Amino acid sequence: MNKVWRVAATEYLNAVRSKAFIIGVLAVPVIMAVSIAAQFYAQKKTDVTPRRFAVLDRSGQLYAPLAAKAKARNDVIRAGGQSVAVPLKGQSIKVDLPPQAEFVPEEFKFSGDHLKAAELQLSERVRRKELFAFVIIGPNVLDTRATNGADVLYHTQTPTYQDLPSWIESTLSAEVHERRFTAAGVDSRQVRELSRGVPLQRLGLAERKTSGEVVQAKRENRVATMLVPVGGMVLLYLVVMTSAPALLNTVLEEKMQKIAEVLLASVAPFQLMLGKLLGTVLVSLTLSALYMGSLTWGLWQFGHLGNVPGYLFAWFFVFQVLALLMYGSVFLAIGAACNEIRDAQSLMFPVMMVVMVPYLMFIPVLESPASPFSRGVSLFPPATPMLMFLRIAIPPGPAWWEVALGLGLTVAFMLGCVWASAKIFRIGILSQGQAPSIPKMIRWVFSK
Amino acid sequence: MPPRTPSPPPRLAVRLESVTKTFGGHTAVNQLSLAVPVGCTYGFIGPNGSGKTTTIRMLLHIFHPDSGEVEVLGEHSTRAANDRIGYLPEERGLYKKMTVRRVLAYYAALKGMNRADAAAEIQRWLTKMGLSEWADKKVEALSKGMAQKIQFIAAVIARPELLILDEPFSGLDPVNLEVLRAAILELRASGTTIIFSTHDMAMAETMCDFIFMIYRGNKVLDGTLADIQRSYGEDTIRVNCAGGAELLRSLPGVELVRDLGQSQELRHADAQALLRDLAARTTVRHFEVCKPSLHDIFIRIAKPDLQEMQVPKTTGGGS
Repeated sequence: MNKVWRVAATEYLNAVRSKAFIIGVLAVPVIMAVSIAAQFYAQKKTDVTPRRFAVLDRSGQLYAPLAAKAKARNDVIRAGGQSVAVPLKGQSIKVDLPPQAEFVPEEFKFSGDHLKAAELQLSERVRRKELFAFVIIGPNVLDTRATNGADVLYHTQTPTYQDLPSWIESTLSAEVHERRFTAAGVDSRQVRELSRGVPLQRLGLAERKTSGEVVQAKRENRVATMLVPVGGMVLLYLVVMTSAPALLNTVLEEKMQKIAEVLLASVAPFQLMLGKLLGTVLVSLTLSALYMGSLTWGLWQFGHLGNVPGYLFAWFFVFQVLALLMYGSVFLAIGAACNEIRDAQSLMFPVMMVVMVPYLMFIPVLESPASPFSRGVSLFPPATPMLMFLRIAIPPGPAWWEVALGLGLTVAFMLGCVWASAKIFRIGILSQGQAPSIPKMIRWVFSK
Repeated sequence: MPPRTPSPPPRLAVRLESVTKTFGGHTAVNQLSLAVPVGCTYGFIGPNGSGKTTTIRMLLHIFHPDSGEVEVLGEHSTRAANDRIGYLPEERGLYKKMTVRRVLAYYAALKGMNRADAAAEIQRWLTKMGLSEWADKKVEALSKGMAQKIQFIAAVIARPELLILDEPFSGLDPVNLEVLRAAILELRASGTTIIFSTHDMAMAETMCDFIFMIYRGNKVLDGTLADIQRSYGEDTIRVNCAGGAELLRSLPGVELVRDLGQSQELRHADAQALLRDLAARTTVRHFEVCKPSLHDIFIRIAKPDLQEMQVPKTTGGGS
């Protein structure tokens, strides 16, 4: 066992001292920081040039209220824009919303039947950059019986800019509703009150304490019910899949560079394989400890740490170790059996298909964690680490016997993978010549 | 006069008893028996693919024999002795991204050596090989010769009782070759048993106490060089004459002319008749009847596989 730990320690130190590991560890926070900074920078660089637009109001009633709303909006923007309050450690932090462009309407007087000429004239002004866009409001826009689906026509050369047409649509809609109610002799305030929606509140379940006291159901916490299970599973998948496939490369490198034979003169093939596997488990645990530490700190800072039950951390590490031993041993066997990376790629495909199962299946499990499908797929050993973790993380979680059964099956499957991989590793590590095939590897498993 | 007590049988570092190893339908080693006494240098020779590396891997218990018994340093058919064996494989392998000191410390640790002993031994060997200033450089920064010396140090760092060297001198320049040869002789003088696999027959002749040749999985030679040569008798004639190899090949009864450049080696049933014949035709500058060199013996045995074999041109001649 001492030699196994020697191999594991060397694998671990080689990995964590490598540039790839340091870059890998820093990559996620650096990418996040850079993307946040980039977004802030981009927001500051948002084009806030006032958007001047012409309004050809054929109804003759809507330009004035539209211009008044635009002026009110522009006044808010000139006063310093809008902000929202974000809670952080019990305090409220003011976060400014992205700067916005002013909207400057101008009325385009139109007489006679020369609509096409007016359209052309306004289009020319847009092309000359005198206007950003122009709007033609239909003459029957206030008529509730009119069935024309395009009461307001918005023309621009920049169709990707959404703020202006959205604002015009919502502002005109509100104004037209108001006027239609008034014309019909209906009190618009009363309509709003009568047509108020019925808010739905999501709650958990009431429970009775041992003292007999009934505890009211708590309001559902979206962080606890969605973010923690999905985020935890994705993180689990991430740390496993960034560590386990690397084993294939290291063992293939040792084989190609003829290091394996030197090592095998000192350690048994199984000791070598186990040492490499344990070294990778340690590397992956280091990686997840760093990520989990950062996330825990972040959740604590934003007051959400209480939404992550402590036992989830323990399950995370248990399933991480199981998944690494299971997948890692398979990648080690492939690396040992192959002579070059090209051979490995063709053997990786079926393995990756199995490894992808939990990722492809997690949505139905998330939506219905107690369904027969979710139960079945979470008991499929290659998928159990991710999907059983997901089910445990979604309150109230699976029955204890399901977790125990899943754990038992996964441990048995993992031991089977390690055993079969050890047999392949023992023969493959010194094999040369033609590329290995799956039938050949199966023969190696059952050879003496 | 007291009766003379018989000398005890030599202690053996390696004992193979009727060992056979097959791969699929191919028999790599067939019924091989071998006894390597402690403290000697035992040369393993044989054409490529004849079973040398398989035999070595069985000594290291990397491969297990299909039948027969392998005993190494008193341990029967287990890896228990592996920590007392140093191994330099033919195809060298070092971790390129590790520093020289770390890679040597790792190999020493795998042999069960404690950290302090390993550190001292690493420093001693690096100094001895003139590589101390490279200790903290990455392996990838070393030249081929330097890397080869580091690989040798990795094999001997744990002070092995049995050292297995597979082509230790291949690719080395004469200066580094001498450094390595001196180190091997020093280890032998200190009692280390050395198994030395080589294609360099001259090196085998000069360095080995015993020669073992394996051919197509079977043992075909085993003994001291003198014993082996004696079994072949004085059937080799070395000639230096005007006309060289071309003339010699044209003479009746001449077999196996080997052109060494300045001289030629050949076989002839009647040396005196050949000398008379030659003297009648050309100027004979040198004519010597001698034992066959190991190179010659090797070629006589392995001739069918000559096309596969890579015999260094500088070897041979033996004297």
